[in-house]
Amino acid sequence: MKKTNKYEFMIAWRFLVKGRFQTLLIVLGISMGVAVQLFLSALIGGLQISLIDKTVGAAPHITVMPVDTIPKKINNEQGKISDNKKVFYSERREIFSWQQYVMEIKTEPGVEIAAPVVNGPGFAEKGDTVVPVAIKGVSAEGLGIYRIKEKLLAGGVELSGENILMGKAIAERLAAATGDKIFLRNEKGEQVLAVVCGIFDLGSDAANKLVLVSLDRARSFFSFDGISAIEIRVKDVFAAENTGKVFKKKFSNVKTESWQEKNRELLSALRSQSSSSGTIQFFVLISISLAIASVLGIAAVQKSRQLGILKAMGATDRSAAGIFVIEGALLGVSGAFLGVFAGLGLSVLFMSATDASARFGLEITAANILTPAALAVIASVISASIPARRAAKLTPVEVIRNG
Amino acid sequence: MAEDIILTKGLNKVYGDRLKVSVLKDINIAVRVKSFTALIGPSGSGKSTLLNCLGLIDAPTSGSIIIDKTEFSSVNVNGLASFRNLHMGFVFQFHYLLPEFTALENVLMPGWIRSGRPENDVKEYALQIMERIGILKEKEKFPAEMSGGQQQRVAIARALINKPKLIFADEPTGNLDRETGFEVLKLMKEINAENGTTLLIVTHDREIALAADHIIELVDGRICKQLDVKKTGKTAAAKEIENRSCRIQ
Repeated sequence: MKKTNKYEFMIAWRFLVKGRFQTLLIVLGISMGVAVQLFLSALIGGLQISLIDKTVGAAPHITVMPVDTIPKKINNEQGKISDNKKVFYSERREIFSWQQYVMEIKTEPGVEIAAPVVNGPGFAEKGDTVVPVAIKGVSAEGLGIYRIKEKLLAGGVELSGENILMGKAIAERLAAATGDKIFLRNEKGEQVLAVVCGIFDLGSDAANKLVLVSLDRARSFFSFDGISAIEIRVKDVFAAENTGKVFKKKFSNVKTESWQEKNRELLSALRSQSSSSGTIQFFVLISISLAIASVLGIAAVQKSRQLGILKAMGATDRSAAGIFVIEGALLGVSGAFLGVFAGLGLSVLFMSATDASARFGLEITAANILTPAALAVIASVISASIPARRAAKLTPVEVIRNG
Repeated sequence: MAEDIILTKGLNKVYGDRLKVSVLKDINIAVRVKSFTALIGPSGSGKSTLLNCLGLIDAPTSGSIIIDKTEFSSVNVNGLASFRNLHMGFVFQFHYLLPEFTALENVLMPGWIRSGRPENDVKEYALQIMERIGILKEKEKFPAEMSGGQQQRVAIARALINKPKLIFADEPTGNLDRETGFEVLKLMKEINAENGTTLLIVTHDREIALAADHIIELVDGRICKQLDVKKTGKTAAAKEIENRSCRIQ
């Protein structure tokens, strides 16, 4: 093995420095490509994270619930039609041995919160106004799933006794404020007094029609012996589906549903967004590569005289090719470096130009920065290999004979 | 008895695939070590092609070239490149300096190619040569900032940097005015004498040719005359060159 050939690097560097305008143009081209890629992936990434946060930021990631109400056979064992006055559906709307489920769920790695809830329909009444609401009994731990503390508009989160929390939509319709007394009525018409302890905004209209009460209160209110569901929050949102599958395997008597299964449409929208951004980035990359290949291709023709002399003086074909590969790498690295700064600048500009209320955070991660930068360098080196091959093929006599 | 550093046997060179043009026909020459040989002949006679073949830049179509006891017809491209780098220096009519590099860097270039990187003792030597040749002041200048004579001196210094056994020069004075041309020639002769380098020059200038020890004249790709200037004397040699008839051995 020869000593590291520094002279190819020196020649490549000098060619680039002396080719000022050409070099500047191509570096600008690469950096623009990198900047666009960086900005685009930060934008799309940020948008997706904000969308996912809106969807599952304040909602359970996995729900374990009783299996669907199953229609019973209309025909009994003897083949006769069963008593049609009886309900044809088995009403398995409760999980009874929920403590055991919760304990087992909590042993699964990645699970942050697992809490029992009791759900039921009802009405909230204040004065003459009656509003249909969804009532949910939660434990103190379960409040964490909804990140109520962060979403609170007014009041506190104390759910003991008669205290309830209500969504913004209900509070507006009832004109209720914290400390107000209202009535809650269940489907059977039974009525209890409640005190509004806090008002929250979960971001969506449906979620804001929620009334949160303590778990015990909900159980007695809806006459539950068990609970309606176990709601789970996991550390990595995207692992929810896989964690859910684990529970599906483990528990045969209950149904498990992850947020991904519930939001297939959103997920496919996100996926097509990612793939369209990927397509754009791919073509940006292709155009960078073509630009480098063409500029270096011209450079190889322009420098064929120099290459011929170098070869006459004993430079090997490999060295001649190496000069262009190094040129490509130098262009790629400097373009990537500039491009990262330009991309970050673009992001800052975007952040300051957009309205603060409509803003979502740009997702600027190491991967978003390094991926376009690394791709630019790789693309540059690959595109440089075309003129490099040309340089390798050139024979010194072509240059010397033709002048 | 001095040995031959270059020996060719039945050297032929044909250009073109369809329309074949025979440029060199059955060239048999011997070049003595440390000698100064001039290749002359009208344009198109094949003298540059012969120089390029002997300099291992161009490959003959057939025949053999033995340089310094090595037969080169079966040596690969890298082997030829390495041999050129270590043992040969080239000076061309259009000086062929790299315009992106300073005079000193141009002189150093074959040294860089040899060792892969700049080395201090090589730089020392380069500065010595440049001083000897009278271009030390120009060392930081780029080729475009120098006169033709200065550029050609840089090219000579570059040819010398790796202390080659052979120097090939194709019309080294062709692009210079007469006075500068003779200065350059004088310099090359001095170097040939000082360093014991074998010098091969292609020229169409008879006066320059007469400064050599040996003259080989090519006409239409064949050797027309071979003269030993020292033996015959300059006046006789000059007469011989003027004589248009060929004496093909």
